[in-house]
Parts: sequence; structure tokens; C-alpha cells
Amino acid sequence: MGRVDCEKICSLWPCEQPEEFRNVWVVAELDERGISEASLQMLTPARRIADKLGEDVVGVIAGPPGASRLAGEMIERGADEVIVVEHERLSEYYPDVVGSVIVELSLKYKPSVILFAATARGREMAPYVANTLKTGITADCTDFDVDPKTKDVLLIRPPFSAIMLAYIRTPFRRPQIGTARPNVFPLPERRQERQGRIVREEVEPPEPMTRLVNRVKIPRSEVPIEKAEVIVSGGRGLGSPEGFRILEELAQLLGGVIAGSRKAVDAGWIPPERQVGQTGKSVKPILYIAVGISGSAQHMVGVREARRIVAVNIDENAPIMRQADYALVADYREVIPALIEELRRLKEE
Amino acid sequence: MPNTQAVRIDPKTGTLIRQGVPSIINPPDLAAVELALRLRDQYGGEVIAVTMGPPPALKGLEHLIGMGVDYGYMFSDRAFAGADTLATSYVLSEGIKYIERERGRVDLALFGQETIDSSTAHIGAQVASWLQWPYVYYVRKAAISDGRLVVERTVENYIETYELPLPAVASVAIRAFKPREVTLSGKLRFKRERPYKIVSNKDLGLDPRCVGLKGSPTIVAKVTYLPEIPRRAEVYRPRDPRDGARWLLRKLLTDSETRDLILKALWGG
Ligand SMILES: Cc1cc2nc3c(=O)[nH]c(=O)nc-3n(C[C@H](O)[C@H](O)[C@H](O)COP(=O)(O)OP(=O)(O)OC[C@H]3O[C@@H](n4cnc5c(N)ncnc54)[C@H](O)[C@@H]3O)c2cc1C
Ligand SMILES: Cc1cc2nc3c(=O)[nH]c(=O)nc-3n(C[C@H](O)[C@H](O)[C@H](O)COP(=O)(O)OP(=O)(O)OC[C@H]3O[C@@H](n4cnc5c(N)ncnc54)[C@H](O)[C@@H]3O)c2cc1C
Repeated sequence: MGRVDCEKICSLWPCEQPEEFRNVWVVAELDERGISEASLQMLTPARRIADKLGEDVVGVIAGPPGASRLAGEMIERGADEVIVVEHERLSEYYPDVVGSVIVELSLKYKPSVILFAATARGREMAPYVANTLKTGITADCTDFDVDPKTKDVLLIRPPFSAIMLAYIRTPFRRPQIGTARPNVFPLPERRQERQGRIVREEVEPPEPMTRLVNRVKIPRSEVPIEKAEVIVSGGRGLGSPEGFRILEELAQLLGGVIAGSRKAVDAGWIPPERQVGQTGKSVKPILYIAVGISGSAQHMVGVREARRIVAVNIDENAPIMRQADYALVADYREVIPALIEELRRLKEE
Repeated sequence: MPNTQAVRIDPKTGTLIRQGVPSIINPPDLAAVELALRLRDQYGGEVIAVTMGPPPALKGLEHLIGMGVDYGYMFSDRAFAGADTLATSYVLSEGIKYIERERGRVDLALFGQETIDSSTAHIGAQVASWLQWPYVYYVRKAAISDGRLVVERTVENYIETYELPLPAVASVAIRAFKPREVTLSGKLRFKRERPYKIVSNKDLGLDPRCVGLKGSPTIVAKVTYLPEIPRRAEVYRPRDPRDGARWLLRKLLTDSETRDLILKALWGG
């Protein structure tokens, strides 16, 4: 670990030495059910980084009175310690209010790493925390490693081309902050026998500047794509929004849901929350059926975790044909109805 | 920004190879510009476009002024090169203070949801942190009421309405507002009036250790290719649709990964 020369760094950054910082934090995002699954998934890379550094994993919960009852789950899923701040003012999520609490805690405890889930709220809050601490933040990491020489964490993320990976370091600043999209890392198993410390902290959150006036739940009956076991996904090759009706029929027969490529979203054939890929969602179904999708790197990066990929494409040379497990060279308008018919026939037998 | 469809990364330095890559406006930013223009048309005031970038970024300002933006600022200096999001947001927030000194109070700083290159979505929150202004992301509707900003946004399964005191920072959801076209009179105004200013770091007077590569806590240590996930790549050209359907079902029913799933779908469980 090199020493930071205080003369050389930006005068607005506090000058601190990396060795003063320890432990890997995971900030819990709270939703109506408790701690969001996406933030619990962050315990997986946190555990790996902490083990390589020989440090602890620490969960951080900033929530309303009673939030400490959620600490146990973080411990059972891999945290060695959980720091809890409970306050009336944390009943409502405001990125700068919750963010300020995380900043206060970080100034006191000096973690070497802080991880956030890159959910919509996490993407809003994490850069505020990083900036207030005047440290670096790496977005949408797909992997982490530790440089054995410097002990710097390597924050690994795909930039635009999706087939390249950038290894990002934060050599002169701590904490090293990173986010990852939901489902990029698996949810660590819950082990009841795991033990850990719960530390209560008193932090006075600032008054919110912003005011939530109203919140309405959007009724959604469909399973979100990131939770589905079967996904039938359509691309520009469908040619029209009607194509999705055929896919919907197939999806229903297989107990799955529909999704789409960015081109299908851009065309307005399917809503943005059902987009798969780099700028959409990462999915991990058992079966992903890609229909009329060419297989761009930006699309395929979202289906890396799919157990099996089926492609239906009229073009034998489309890149997806080499990246699927089973590829049918066919016009979807013929082969998908035939597949539906076959499935119906088998069902009746 | 450089057109990302064409951009490559230099594997040695980890920076963008910008040579020969045309400059484009980040598409999500056009939605933010459109919202700014609508707010001005409704409530009055002035829309100022702000960019930090190398000289080709002027093309972007030309487009925005053609759309009806009143004035442009381009913060451009070799010292700004290689900035990560912290250093970028620092220049932009100091730029906002500079604009306030020249043109009066700024009420609202609007951002695109994210760029289509590194798409970190950091900049809005970071600028809010530098300026200590309230902020909100993913805006789809906005109005001014009693000197406050009222916005609607969608996050996950909720539609939320927030009220923010001004000045404030907001990022605009992708596709939320369809940008208007460039007009001939707008283009002419750019040429005749040159309603823009190019500002260097000498004008801003920022500590050179706080901008560009030097002011960036993150560095790209190296770039590599993403390892490919091995797939079976069994390609079949069926004789007819029925043959294709049967081939696929046979494959899925004999594959231990998918077998149970298909059986469950067919006969419940
Ligand atoms: C920064 C960045 C981020 C991006 N993020 C994403 C992302 O998150 N998700 C995403 O999907 N894309 C993303 N893209 C876009 C991506 O590069 C591709 O443009 C896009 O994935 C292509 O969509 P597609 O496969 O539906 O369309 P196309 O590439 O046009 O492919 C259509 C396919 O349909 C086939 N076809 C046509 N007719 C039929 C038929 N009758 N039957 C069967 N097959 C047929 C064609 O042979 C072709 O292969 C991103 C791009 C950039 C630059
Ligand atoms: C491979 C690679 C990976 C990178 N990853 C990271 C990373 O994880 N963390 C990091 O700190 N930096 C990273 N960078 C650097 C980052 O790309 C630059 O700092 C860039 O200038 C910030 O843009 P963004 O894409 O992150 O902006 P975003 O935060 O996604 O942009 C949001 C909005 O901010 C506004 N905005 C952004 N840049 C400007 C500008 N120059 N002028 C005016 N308005 C602007 C626009 O309205 C835009 O829509 C990376 C660079 C490379 C080459």
C-alpha cells in the first residue's frame, strides 16, 4: 500500500492514508417487505472481497424505529456485523437524508469499501454519498477483485461496448465505492447458525429538503422479468407489436413472461421495465427464448446468467446463433405457432 | 459526447479513442432539454445549455440552440481531460456558479437520466452534493407552483410526486419528453449571434489538482475482454415449422436443465 502524498491530491479532498480504513460495507435498501433482495445480493461480493482482504463484512441499516429487527437477516446471509441507525426521519426514503447518515457513519468507522445495489434508488443515492465523501464510485460492477500488492479493490465493469471490461481502482481515496445491478450476484444462502454483532448508532439525519407529496402503487399482475424462470423475449425481428401476442401465448403455456430487446422497447412494442440487456435488466431464467433478436453484445450481457438460451432467427449467421444453446433457423411467424400447437397437443395427451 | 456506437477504448491507457469519432449529443439529454424549453415557454426565464468537453462539443451546442435554447456554455480545457464523474461534476457545479455570476440566479439544473456511454447516472447527484441543492431523479412530469418544483416520477412499482424548493437538481427519465426539431431560425441565430461562450480553467480558476485526470479518484487500471459463457450452439435448419418445433421440444425434454420445467408447464406440479 502506497502512502498518499497530501501535497499532490486535490485540496478539496481530506488527506487520509488507505491503511486507516477497514471492512467492507453493504448498505441495506429498505422496501415494504424489509431489506431489498438486490441489496442482500451485495453480501455475496462483499464476502468475497472481505475474505481476500482479511476484513469483516458490515451491513448498514438506516431506517425507521424498529428497523433493527432486519439486522438478523444480513448476519444470516454473511455479515459479521450490522450497524443500525433508527430514526423517525428515516421512515421515508430521501437520497440525501439517508445518504447523509451513511456519510456520517463512514466518517466515524472508515470502511475501506462501500457497496450499494444499483436499483433505481441506489443509483440515486450512492453517487451522493461518494461525492460528499469526495471519493470515487464505480457504477454497475459485474465483478470485484483485490490487487494483492496494493490491497486496492478492483471494481470491474463493462463499459459501452459490453464485451470489454474495465478494471477500475481508487488508489488515493477511501472508501472505495461500487454499485452492481440487481441479479448480477446471487443471493447468499440464509444460514440460521451464523452469528454476528449488532451495533446501534445515534445519528441525527438532516431535515429533508424535498417533500414526498404522494405515492401511488402501480398495479402489476405480471411477474417481473428478473424473477421469471422462463422468458420469451422479442426483438425488432418481430416486425410489429402483434408479434408479442404470439410470444405471450407461448410464454403462458410455459409458465413464463415476455421481455424484449432495446429495439423492441424503442419501437414501443413492450414497456421499458421489460428490457433485457446492458441498459435494461439482467435476468437469470432457466430458459430464455430469444425471438427475432440478433444477439448484440449489449443484449447478451443481460442473459449471461440464463441457464439455457434458445434462439429463433431467420438468419443463420445472426450472432445469437453462436451464443445460444439451441438455435432454430426459421421464420418465427411459422415456427412459434407450430411450437404452441405441439405444446398444446402434448398437454392434452 | 463521442458517438458511442463508434468509439473504442485504448487497451493500454484505458481511455477513449476519440479520433475520427463524430461528436453527438447524448440522446437522453435531449429529453432534459425539451423539458427545459417547455418550462421556459410556460413560466418564462432562460434556458442555458452547459457542456464540459473538447472543442467538437460545440456542435452539440449548435444543435441545442437550433432547438431554441437561449444560450450555451462550454467548459473546455486540456486540464479537464480524463475526468471521472467526481471531477466532471466538480467542473459542472463550479460552472453553474460561474454562470450565476454572469447571468444571475440559476433555478433548476436538469440532467439526462444517464449517458449512453458509461451510463453511470452519477453526475446529477454529484452536482447536487457539490451545490447542496435538493435533487430528484427519473422525472417524467414537472411544473412550477408557488416558486417550488413539483415533479412526478416512476420508480419500480410506484408513481411518486415530490415537491422541491428551488434551486434544485433533477434528472429526466429516458424518453419522457420527445425533443423538438431544430428550426431554421434557430440555426441562423447560432451563426449570427453566437449565443455561447467557451470558458477555460483560467476563467474558472479551479485548482488543477481537482479537475481532469488529477482530480479523479478512480482510474481505469486495465481493460480486457469479457470471457464468453460457453453455450452448446446447436443450430438446426428445420424442414418445416412442425419439424422445428419437435426438434426444439425434444432438445428441451432431454436436457436435464430444462426437462422438469417443460414437464411442469405441460402437466402442472
Ligand atoms: C450503450 C448501448 C446500450 C445498449 N443497451 C441495450 C440493451 O440493454 N438491450 C438491448 O437489447 N440492446 C441494447 N443496445 C442496442 C443493441 O446494440 C442492439 O441494437 C439491439 O440489441 C438490437 O435489437 P434486436 O436484436 O431486437 O434488433 P436487430 O439487431 O435489428 O435484430 C433483428 C433480428 O431479427 C431477425 N429476424 C427478422 N425477421 C425475422 C423473422 N420473421 N423471424 C425470426 N427472426 C427474424 C433478424 O435476422 C435479426 O437478427 C444498446 C446499445 C448501446 C450502444
Ligand atoms: C470504460 C470507462 C468506465 C468508466 N466508469 C466510470 C465509473 O464507474 N465511475 C466514474 O466516476 N467514471 C467512470 N468513467 C468516466 C466517465 O465516463 C466520465 O467521467 C464521464 O465524463 C461522465 O459521464 P457519465 O457517462 O458517467 O455521466 P452520467 O452521470 O451517466 O450522465 C448523466 C447526465 O449528466 C450530464 N453530463 C454528463 N457528462 C457531462 C458533461 N461532460 N457535460 C455536461 N453534462 C454532462 C448529462 O446530462 C448526462 O445525461 C468511465 C470511463 C470509461 C472510459
